[in-house]
Amino acid sequence: MEPAVTAKEGEMTVELEGSEIEYVSYGGEHHLPLIMRLVDEELSEPYSIFTYRYFVYLWPQLSFLAFHRGKCVGTIVCKMGEHRSTFRGYIAMLVVLKPYRGRGIATELVTRSIKVMMESGCEEVTLEAEVTNKGALALYGRLGFIRAKRLFRYYLNGVDAFRLKLLFPRRELHTSLQMMATKNENHEEMHLLQENFCS
Amino acid sequence: MAEKVKLPINPSIPSGEQTVWADISFLLDSACEGLRDGELIHGENFNLFAAMSALEIMDPKMDSGIVRRYYSVDEAIDSGAAPIPLSSDRTLDVQCVIDIMDHLLSCEATWHKGHSLAQTVFSCIYLLKPDRTTSHALLHSYCRVIRATCNLVVSVVSDARTNEEEDLFTMTYGLPLKGDGDEKCLSMLHAVEETIARQLRACKAPPSKRRVVEDMEPLQTNPDLEEEYCKALLCRIRFRKHFFHALTAMRRPQGRGLELARKHIASCLSELDSILKSSKFLCSNACGTCEDGLEDRTTASGCQPIGFDASLNCRLSAPTPPRAIKILSWIKGVEYFQKLLHDLDILCSYSLDPLLEGVLHFVIEFHKFQPDLVARAHLQVLLIHDGKLYGRDPVFTVISKAAALPEVLKDYEIQNEVLGQLGQLVINLLKILCTNAAWQRRKLGKILQDWRVSYMQLELGFKKEFREISSTLDENLCAKISKHILIWVEEQTYWIASRFLSLGFDLELYSPSEYCMVYWYMYVVFIRLAEKTHLKMLTSHETGKRKAKKKKDSLKDLARDYQIPPGVLLLQCHIYLAEALTMMLAALRNEHKVFTSLGPFNTELERFNQHFELLQKASIPDHMSFFSYEESTMNTRLSNPVMLNCFKDAQRIAKELRSSFSHDPEKMAELRRIEQVAEHNGVALNLICRNSSTASGDGEFWRSGSARDGVLGSPDGFRRVSIWVRSTWPTGMVKSSFDGDGDGEFFRDMKVRRDLGV
Ligand SMILES: CC(C)(COP(=O)(O)OP(=O)(O)OC[C@H]1O[C@@H](n2cnc3c(N)ncnc32)[C@H](O)[C@@H]1OP(=O)(O)O)[C@@H](O)C(=O)NCCC(=O)NCCS
Repeated sequence: MEPAVTAKEGEMTVELEGSEIEYVSYGGEHHLPLIMRLVDEELSEPYSIFTYRYFVYLWPQLSFLAFHRGKCVGTIVCKMGEHRSTFRGYIAMLVVLKPYRGRGIATELVTRSIKVMMESGCEEVTLEAEVTNKGALALYGRLGFIRAKRLFRYYLNGVDAFRLKLLFPRRELHTSLQMMATKNENHEEMHLLQENFCS
Repeated sequence: MAEKVKLPINPSIPSGEQTVWADISFLLDSACEGLRDGELIHGENFNLFAAMSALEIMDPKMDSGIVRRYYSVDEAIDSGAAPIPLSSDRTLDVQCVIDIMDHLLSCEATWHKGHSLAQTVFSCIYLLKPDRTTSHALLHSYCRVIRATCNLVVSVVSDARTNEEEDLFTMTYGLPLKGDGDEKCLSMLHAVEETIARQLRACKAPPSKRRVVEDMEPLQTNPDLEEEYCKALLCRIRFRKHFFHALTAMRRPQGRGLELARKHIASCLSELDSILKSSKFLCSNACGTCEDGLEDRTTASGCQPIGFDASLNCRLSAPTPPRAIKILSWIKGVEYFQKLLHDLDILCSYSLDPLLEGVLHFVIEFHKFQPDLVARAHLQVLLIHDGKLYGRDPVFTVISKAAALPEVLKDYEIQNEVLGQLGQLVINLLKILCTNAAWQRRKLGKILQDWRVSYMQLELGFKKEFREISSTLDENLCAKISKHILIWVEEQTYWIASRFLSLGFDLELYSPSEYCMVYWYMYVVFIRLAEKTHLKMLTSHETGKRKAKKKKDSLKDLARDYQIPPGVLLLQCHIYLAEALTMMLAALRNEHKVFTSLGPFNTELERFNQHFELLQKASIPDHMSFFSYEESTMNTRLSNPVMLNCFKDAQRIAKELRSSFSHDPEKMAELRRIEQVAEHNGVALNLICRNSSTASGDGEFWRSGSARDGVLGSPDGFRRVSIWVRSTWPTGMVKSSFDGDGDGEFFRDMKVRRDLGV
């Protein structure tokens, strides 16, 4: 995931009731410009339209949009797939417009995506976040993500990233022995190739 | 549309023998007409994933072609982007050359800091055409030494290559890194230096003596500026000279050039000072004032340098969207070099300790200065050369010393495949320890398993192989070798594990709700480490003792035999501390619901398995799992006296150890920190317990207190307790303050303190 554009101080915020926000799953090409506008506004990296299409065409069920009175104010874009013998989900982009932040919108978006991933048989979810992105780190931390590793100068601006990971509980009832036989997942090198799609 | 716009086909990209340029706009247009939104025409091997790396042509954010000012270096030169001389006015010419020198320094620092050579140093057009500068001796010699220096640095870093950090650094494809004759750069530079030194002398000579040197042409035309310009140039040239010498000396095998390198490093630093001082003159000369400050400027004068264009090399970098690189400011560039030179100086003053323990200690201490890539690469090529320590000591010798093999065996060449592998593991370990902390931790986690496997192989192999190979050795000796080595391998494995765990603090991988399990893990690893270290010392001691007995040493010596060595006691301190912190955090969690980690999707078990997966896989330690952790922390209460006793014991032992480490300032500082952490937390614990017992309901007291900062401020009540936990083990601390609102954010002010100077 790409570094966020630094937020300006003193942005105005909007008063709203939680119930006023409507969440919808990605519904087709007409949603694409909404997602693109949001991400373009808040993240520093230029994505080509192909990047968005890669995600929303292959995993439409993992992308969500948040609307407030018809206006798209937040979005999440994800994927999932086999990765070195693990089936894992990956959160690629998450954005909430500044005036709408701090109201749990991102939490709701992430939660929805993760639930679908879980139901689809993912064993874990990963993403990268800039080490300086306090908001995102706090948000994911509260959802149970751990900082699995630090990626040295992961972003072009020279900032390190954390690889965040959320491991789902195993479904079957397990003995301690099974528990210790953890999965084989030495993956970071390949990972860079596969998932740091935009740099 | 395509019919209306006739695009000029650029002749500077010629058609090939069997290819011609053709306009396909019409074809594309008609193809587009048949497509609806979201449809894609593609070949079989082109999927949506591949489409992501597509660049949108003509989009300035994507297409590196359209932001380019010139199509080629030649075109840039033809358009006058890099004139020689830089000006027909000789004063201006000198000024411009100085700007180039300064900007190159900024570029070089930017390169060292992680950008490509092509877009930093080699954005200089003068460097790209080595022969063009011949007529300008000053510029020419300077360009040569820059290329030669880059070449030297690239070669050190490539020799040390271990990870992708170095890959970008050493990417030199298509760059004229080795100009013909660059190897003579020093003699050319020397000649230029001589000339300018004479010009300086000439302009400083009193008028009466000037006649003697009259045939000397001045550097430039304005006599008032002559002296300062000469000086400004001299320090810049001398800096390059000494830097080149220092790097060359450092590359001498077996550390033979280190002493010489130190002298050059000292000269570099003093020339850098002069360079910094020259800024005032250059600045006032160029723009009249220096008021704007130099924060963003890449030259001492504050002027834009002539002859740089970063977009020229775009084609050399991978087909990625163009991204402007921000070149470090000149001030930052100079600071970078000062830091680099200090780091190199530390390396050069290293005594090449033949004991592995000393090497490891040095490397860990060196990391505290946060050395950048170039310094770390030098460290690595110094440590490991030709598969030997310092290119000097065979690894087996190093291992025998580390494992404290009895003297008789040290010279004995044991050819054993598994031992060979062990040697490789040691070399790998040292190399990994020279990489950046993030990479280092990942690799350390992975090699743990190799060490574990190696242990098992050694255990199996020793009996068999020794019998076969070493008929000359008696069986007793064989047993001894295997015992010593096996203990050492285990000790080393636990050492790696503890480094792995403590690096997690440095890299900020643990969140406060995970501290409890991390301390617990450190606790169990430290225990094993201490055990093995102690065992190793006892074993080597036994061997020594037997000899001593033969010599009939005094009884007093034998009494000393049973003292625990200071190194082990220090570990004991850490064990107590880790144990107490684990218990304290567990108790706070159990009784007051702080430091809990409840997520909607998983439990502490998953987080434990994720954090310690690599350790668990390598069975470090044996028979320890989440359930051992859970069992030992589940029922911990604040009233448990063990906790307080652990803090007290840590404090007591740390005090006692002072005399053993009085010669070692780093160890002394470590002891001080242990004492402080133990003391603070002892007080905090007392306070919490006292308030707990008087509180009415569970967790009530958190809210009932009145005073703030209970621990440090007022002892009579509190709203906020500070406990000291360690953020970097064993160097720094985090002060975690939490107040007792029960469910809120407990970590309002987490301050990382490198040093605990309360
Ligand atoms: C990160 C981002 C998506 C959060 O959106 P949001 O809707 O404000 O998040 P939420 O309201 O769901 O926040 C949930 C929790 O996250 C934490 N959090 C969010 N923003 C935070 C901030 N700026 N500082 C500290 N904690 C923050 C809080 O714990 C918050 O819970 P609380 O409000 O109950 O204390 C939003 O700030 C954003 O769009 N940033 C720019 C893009 C970006 O950084 N994306 C993520 C890249 S990895």
